[in-house]
Amino acid sequence: MTKVAEESGSDISDTGRIAHLRSHVPGELSMWFFVIGDLLIFGAYFIGYVYYRGQDPDLFLQSQARLNLDIGAINTVILLTSSLFVALGTSAARNDKVQEAIRLFGIAFALGVAFPVMKAFEYIPEVTAGVTPGTNLFFMYYFVMTGLHLCHVTLGLVILGFVIRSLRVSAKPRMSFVETAATYWHMVDLLWILLFALLYLMR
Amino acid sequence: MTSYIRNPLTLVWALLTIVTVVSWLTARGGGSAHVVNVTVTLVVLLIAAVKTQLVIWHFMEVRFAPRWLKLTTGGWLVGLLAFLLGFYFAGI
Repeated sequence: MTKVAEESGSDISDTGRIAHLRSHVPGELSMWFFVIGDLLIFGAYFIGYVYYRGQDPDLFLQSQARLNLDIGAINTVILLTSSLFVALGTSAARNDKVQEAIRLFGIAFALGVAFPVMKAFEYIPEVTAGVTPGTNLFFMYYFVMTGLHLCHVTLGLVILGFVIRSLRVSAKPRMSFVETAATYWHMVDLLWILLFALLYLMR
Repeated sequence: MTSYIRNPLTLVWALLTIVTVVSWLTARGGGSAHVVNVTVTLVVLLIAAVKTQLVIWHFMEVRFAPRWLKLTTGGWLVGLLAFLLGFYFAGI
């Protein structure tokens, strides 16, 4: 899929030489089928959540009041910033700036690690206060959706780790792998954007 | 360093972060009462949809992708938003 490069002309600084291409699928096509499948599965959860919320709005609103909005917002900014560094790292790798790419992916990884740490600060007080998936339907959705998302974050961190390792060991970046990993990490980011709006913000 | 700050990707990130803070403050202010509030819900869901499209378009580089991928991701987002708003308004 990755037929980037080798085109002459001026560089576009944001994404490197990809800007010369049209109809370029970033990364492996198989990852995009996975991403689209994941978007459909999470989409079904989101629609189910809003449907059941409509059946008992007061229960959902009162339960929502028990969430830590500030941690939710901070985690949104953490993932957005991590995504930015992955995008910048992809651009650097595309321009063969390997050391810069390693540094940028390293920052993205560190920010990614901060997400589960913050989530623990949110989960632990909730669980110790007796709030569990069995508490009510809102918390069932909350724990299942954020738990599934956390699994995605964990897998994403493993993938980012492999990207950093791959950049360290080979002189020429494997762009297809870098783009595939970046696509997955950005999906993790966008799913959280929607989770944050649905679980913490909507009224 | 300057090149990162002036990078279009950083500008997209700044926009995403600003709208996140706006959503956060909207929920903290008018929405903190935890009662049904159509305005707050419309603002936060539309902002979330715009943010999602920005991530898909710029970070996931779908703006360079073939038409089928643009249509699939765009169709998913529009369809999702329609279902979410439809069930929200049906439930209030």
